[in-house]
Amino acid sequence: MILETLLDFLTVSELGSVLVEGLAKAALYVMIASGLTLIFGLMGVLNFAHGSLTMVGAYLGGLVMVLTVSQATGTVARLALFFVAIVAVFGALTLLGGAIETSIIRPLYDRPPIYQILLTFGLTLVVDELVRIVLSLYGMQPLSDWQAALATKPQFLREPVALGPVDVRWLAVFEIFVGALTVVAIWAFLTKTRYGLYIRAGSEDTEMASALGIDVRRVFTVVFALGIGLAGAAGTLLMWDQVWGASVPLAAETLLPAFIVVIVGGLGTFRGTVAASLVVGLTDAVMTWWFVNYVRFTGLPELMLFLVLVVTLIVRPQGLFGVEEVGGH
Amino acid sequence: MTTVLYFGLFAMSFDFISGYTGYLSFGHAAFYGTGAYTVILVANGLVPLFPTSTPFMISLLVGGVFAVVLAVVIGLVSFRLSGVYFAMITLGFAQVLYIFVRGWDYVAANPRDGPSVGGTHPAGFEIGIPGVDQLNLAIGVLAGEEATVLGHTLGSTAVSYYMVGLVALGCYFAMQRILHSPFGRVMLAIRENEERAIAIGYNTYLYKLGAFAISGFFGAIAGGLFAGFRRSATPESSFYFLTTGDALLASIIGGFGTLAGPLYGHLFDETVREFLSKSGQGGGLLPYLRAGLGDQALATPILGDMTLGVLIDTLLNGHASLYVGIVFVLFVLYVPDGLLGTVRTRVGGTLADAARDRFRDDHSTPERTEGDDE
Repeated sequence: MILETLLDFLTVSELGSVLVEGLAKAALYVMIASGLTLIFGLMGVLNFAHGSLTMVGAYLGGLVMVLTVSQATGTVARLALFFVAIVAVFGALTLLGGAIETSIIRPLYDRPPIYQILLTFGLTLVVDELVRIVLSLYGMQPLSDWQAALATKPQFLREPVALGPVDVRWLAVFEIFVGALTVVAIWAFLTKTRYGLYIRAGSEDTEMASALGIDVRRVFTVVFALGIGLAGAAGTLLMWDQVWGASVPLAAETLLPAFIVVIVGGLGTFRGTVAASLVVGLTDAVMTWWFVNYVRFTGLPELMLFLVLVVTLIVRPQGLFGVEEVGGH
Repeated sequence: MTTVLYFGLFAMSFDFISGYTGYLSFGHAAFYGTGAYTVILVANGLVPLFPTSTPFMISLLVGGVFAVVLAVVIGLVSFRLSGVYFAMITLGFAQVLYIFVRGWDYVAANPRDGPSVGGTHPAGFEIGIPGVDQLNLAIGVLAGEEATVLGHTLGSTAVSYYMVGLVALGCYFAMQRILHSPFGRVMLAIRENEERAIAIGYNTYLYKLGAFAISGFFGAIAGGLFAGFRRSATPESSFYFLTTGDALLASIIGGFGTLAGPLYGHLFDETVREFLSKSGQGGGLLPYLRAGLGDQALATPILGDMTLGVLIDTLLNGHASLYVGIVFVLFVLYVPDGLLGTVRTRVGGTLADAARDRFRDDHSTPERTEGDDE
């Protein structure tokens, strides 16, 4: 039976569509996880609130899209307004991230790192509940009204397209495009700008960087703010995808894959995060394919993702691209 | 309030490993879930070798043993890591179990909703000494017994409360005993400076593994009590990672690294929740405000067509997690030692020591024995 499955899988059309789906998932994962990895790499803070802030980004993004994108009719205008929405949410959450860092995370740098984990964990409770309160104040039910945001998607993104023998969803291609764009942007920011240099220096050795005259505390604030902004942008991207959508449990649904990606890649390395999201995205796609076609075990893809995490930690505790000494965090 | 007892016990078992060795076990819910599921599966006759007639206390122990095995398996690979990596690998294991249990149709007809005690075990679970009928009292929602003690009749709720409390108390003393033994001292040494502990010649790996297994055992007992009292369990309320989060909350608020702290922490938590939720049996803030303000005040519009009443309702109805979260953040920021830890710092030792000193005749400062700071 396994052989039969394998033969089925190895046809061009199946392999091709699984590959595209996997890349699309990888793109979403890299969007969700890159902020987390930036924050950890520099500050050593494992931000438990990342999922919740992604969820806030999803709601905000949905709101902006319903307000603006639905006004436009042309495909090009809709796509352009979608990017406006992403930028707007990115900006709003960057400000929020900066406020969070300066107000409640800053007092904790002198304490053991566990307190920062605890604090961000508490923050998720507060954020999730605040979102629930706002939703009920405005009578917005978690899902039904947010179909409106889904509906702002241009027509062509809903239809599959045949590329040779392979059936591909346009949305998947679009997600891959946005994901790749984000990766290139972060990479350029880290390697080509002065601030990126500060961040890389701070990740290597915080004390040395501050001795050289870099205001590390301010770099912390900027990185935390940008990381949260990226979480918001990721949330906005999720709003066009049928599988995700906006809901309060989205917080946990995005946090756990983000953790998996960040740990598998090696805490704090951006390169590792990109590689790991490819691994995790492709695993997810293959397992989803297997589940849909052959296996009747609900949650098989999820199960496999956590097994990837566990196996990675057993075989290579520092992750794919991690450095040994980071394990001391 | 019975939930305070069994969940407090779970939080204590979490604190036992995380607060005393410094290894954040973020997948502790795995043990809680193991205990809970074992008890229900035994009652439904789904565990081989254990018929449905197995006494509750035995099935509790069976769950505990399963958890010990599980803890050793998880611990063998996990304790090669430390810090965030340890937290993440334990989280990974627990989530694997959670997803597995959620999809495994052996445990229940609808595994997503979790198992509940079926018709094969109609009676309430009995806490007591197996085989000695007079010493057993049934617990469980709607299935508890009444009991007459020294002329007072206790209702079924009260009986459940005291019996669950009895087990929790026993577990507390057992853990307390372990922490005060040389074994517990090594756990503290690992938390304070693991390299030094290794340098003195302790095989810290074995000590950590042992502590993890003990902690898993008591976590499973807590889960078993939970399942025995509720007569059902869901994957969300037992194996999910936020269950561990609740234990973490209780530990931090009560005092990380003080064994009894998590119990007080969870009591505090529950009190806040009870006070701020509408269904609060002890009155709660919402009914009080409704009654106190009167209809006219409640109908005052604030923003557009939103009235004061609607606002209060929205802010207070079922959103206790918000306030618990805020309290938690404030504790992390300003009361890092937690309730009990702060009290101990103030009093200068454990409360029992301080009280004993106060009531003794000589008011001279007693000499503190070494390692009194627990």
